[in-house]
Amino acid sequence: MSMQHYGYGEVHGPRAGEMSRRGFMRRMLGVGVGILSIEFLAGTLAFLWPNIREGLGGRLTVGTAASIATNYPEWTEGLAYIFQSKIFVVNVPAAKARVEGEGEVSQPVGDPGTDVSSDIPAVDRSVLALYRKCPHLGCQVPQLCDQSQWFECLCHGSKYTVLGEYRAGPAPRGMDRFVVEMEGDTYVINSGEIEDGPPVGTVTFDDRDSQLIPHCAA
Amino acid sequence: MTIEKRPNATADKTAPSQAPQVPTIERGGGPKLPGPPGVPGTERFRLLAYVKQESMVRVDKRPDETVLTWPHLLRAEFLMASLITMLLVITSFFIQAPLEEMANAGNTPHVAKAPWYFLGLQEMLSYFNATVVGVLFPPLYFIGLMAIAYIDRSPYKAARDRKLVWIFFLCLMVGGLLVTFIGSFFRGPGWNWVWPWEGLFFTL
Amino acid sequence: MSFLVRAVRESALWRSLFRQPYPTTSRTRALAVMNNVFLHLHPVRVKTHAVRYTYTFCLGGISFFLFLALTVTGVYLMFFYVPSINRAFQDIQTISNSVAFGDLIRNMHRWAAHLMVLTVFLHMIRVFYHGAYKPPREFNWAIGVLLLFSTLWLSFTGYLLPWDQIAFWAITVGTQMATYAPLASTESGFILLGGIEVGQETLIRFYVMHVIAFPLIAAILLVVHFWRIRKDGGISGPV
Ligand code: HEM
Ligand code: FES
Repeated sequence: MSMQHYGYGEVHGPRAGEMSRRGFMRRMLGVGVGILSIEFLAGTLAFLWPNIREGLGGRLTVGTAASIATNYPEWTEGLAYIFQSKIFVVNVPAAKARVEGEGEVSQPVGDPGTDVSSDIPAVDRSVLALYRKCPHLGCQVPQLCDQSQWFECLCHGSKYTVLGEYRAGPAPRGMDRFVVEMEGDTYVINSGEIEDGPPVGTVTFDDRDSQLIPHCAA
Repeated sequence: MTIEKRPNATADKTAPSQAPQVPTIERGGGPKLPGPPGVPGTERFRLLAYVKQESMVRVDKRPDETVLTWPHLLRAEFLMASLITMLLVITSFFIQAPLEEMANAGNTPHVAKAPWYFLGLQEMLSYFNATVVGVLFPPLYFIGLMAIAYIDRSPYKAARDRKLVWIFFLCLMVGGLLVTFIGSFFRGPGWNWVWPWEGLFFTL
Repeated sequence: MSFLVRAVRESALWRSLFRQPYPTTSRTRALAVMNNVFLHLHPVRVKTHAVRYTYTFCLGGISFFLFLALTVTGVYLMFFYVPSINRAFQDIQTISNSVAFGDLIRNMHRWAAHLMVLTVFLHMIRVFYHGAYKPPREFNWAIGVLLLFSTLWLSFTGYLLPWDQIAFWAITVGTQMATYAPLASTESGFILLGGIEVGQETLIRFYVMHVIAFPLIAAILLVVHFWRIRKDGGISGPV
C-alpha cells in the first residue's frame, strides 16, 4: 500500500487508522499469549481441584431410627447421635422436647419419622444432620451442653441451638448441615453437599437469651 | 573502621549548600581518576556516570561518598552472618521447639490459635463481621501496602517533612502489634480475656 | 610449608578457580567483586552510609541469610520426613530423638523461620521510615510486599508439617478464615485443603508448597529484589 506524503513523497505502510500486517501479527501474538496464560491458570486450578474424597463427600448410610436408638438410646431423649465423629444426627422432635423440658424428656421419641426433605423448615423436619465443624474457625463442636441445651464450641465460645441456629459468639452463621434422604426407612446423608448454616438472626425455635442462661463455654 | 574516600567524594544531595561541584565534561569524556601511581597518561575514566533522566532506568544518582565493597560491605555481611548463626545455634541448643501429641481431629483444644503472625487477624475476627475481616482484610492489607509506594510519591524522606504518613504508618504498626499481642497473650479458653499471669495460651 | 602453599597456589587447578591473587589493592578488590558471580550482586563501591549498621540495621541482609539457613536446614530435615499423616509425626519424633544433631537442626529450622518473619517485618518498617519506597524504588517495594507474603506463606505451610495438635488446629483455624469468602466459601477452602477438612490431601499440598513451590517463588522474587536495588541506584539515603 503506498501513498503520497507531503514531505517524504511516496511512502509505504498502512493508512492512518489501519493496522499494518506486522502490527496485526504482534497483536495476535499478545492475544495468544494471554489466552494461553489464562488456560494455564485454569488448567492448574482444575488439576489441583480435589476429587478423591474419602469419608466425608460420599453418600453415608446412617441406619434406621430403630438401629440408631439401639446404638445410642439417648438419641430418643434428644441428644445428638454422633455419626462417624463428624456429624450430629439430631432427632428433631426429641431435641425440641428436651429443650422445652430443660433437659428432661418425659416421652422419648423412638421414631421421629421420614420428613427429611430440605424443602421443609428445619423445625418441622424429623432428622437434621449438622456438621460438627464450627463455622467460626473449624473446631469440633461437642455434644449438647447440659446447662444450656445448646451446642457450645469450646474454642472461641460460639453457641448454637439444637437446630444449629446461631445464638452467640464469634461465628458468622449457624452450623452447616448436610442433606438427608430416605432410602426406605433408612436415613442416608449426602455428605457431598454441605449447606451453609442459617444466617445470624434466624430464630425459629428456642429464643432464650444467651445472657440469662448458664453455659458450658464461657 | 578506616574508610577510604574517593578523591572527588562529595556530600549528599539533601544538603544543597554542600552540593557537589559536578565536573564539566566534554563529549566522550568523563571525570578523570588517577591511574596507577607513577604511570603518567594512564588515567582511567569512570564509566556509566551519567544517565539521562528520560531513560528507562530512573536514577537519582550524583557522585556520592563511597567505599569499596571489598572489604567494607563484605566485612559487615560476614560479621552479621556469623552473629546470626551463633545466635541461632545457641538458641536452638537450649530452647526446644514445641511438639504436642499427634494431630487428632476429634480432640479439640480448649483454645485453638493460628500461628502468631495471624493472631492479630484472629483477634479482629472476634470484633468485626467475619466476612469483612476474614475475606476482605488480608488482600486489602497486601494490596494496600503495595499501593503506598504509588500513592505517596513526594520526594521528602526526612521524618519532619512527612509527619502525616509517618504517624499514619506508626498507628498501623502499633495497632497491628497491639491486636497481635492481645490475641497471643491475653486470650484463653473460649477466646476469653486471660491475664498472662493467669496462664499462657501461646505456642510458637 | 610455604613451598606447599606456593605449589597449591600456582597449580593449574587453583588458578582456574581464582583468577587473581588475594585482593589487596583497590584495583584487585574491585576486580574480585566484579569477577565473582556471587559477589557481583554487589556494586564495586557502595555509599559510605550504606555500610553503617544503623542505616539498614542489616535487616534485609539478615532476612536473606535466614532464608539461606532455612534452605539448608530444610534440606536436612527432608531426608527424614515423609509427608504422610501416618508417619509425619513419628518422623519428627525420630528426627528429635534418634538422628544425630536432628534436634538441633529441627530447632534451628523452627526458630530461624519465626525470626525471619520478624526480621522481614522490621525490614519493611525500616524501609518505610527511610522513605526508601519512593520513586524510583516503588516497584522494589511492591516486590518486597510479595516477599513478605511469600515469607508468611512459607511459614504457615511449614507449620502444619509436624502434624501434631498445635499444627493441626492452627492450620484448621487459619484456613477456615478463607472459607468466609462470599460466593466461593466452600470452594476456596476446598482448593486450599484438598478436601473438606485438614487431612492427608492438605498435608501433601502444604508440603509441596513449603519445600518447592514457594522457595522457588521466593528465590525468584529475591533475585528481582536485589537486581532492582542496584538498578534503582543502590541503597537509598542518607535520609
Ligand atoms: C524475604 C524477604 C526480604 C529480603 C530477604 C529482603 C532483602 C533486602 C536487602 C538485602 C536489601 C538491602 C538493604 C537492607 O538490607 O535493608 C533490601 C532493600 C529493600 N527492600 Fe527488601 N527484603 C525482603 C523483603 C522486603 C519487604 C517486605 C519490603 C517492603 C514491603 C522490602 C522492600 C525493600 C526496599 C524498598 C529496599 C530498598 C531500600 C533502600 O534502598 O534503602 N523488602 N531488601
Ligand atoms: S471455632 Fe468454634 S467458636 Fe471458634
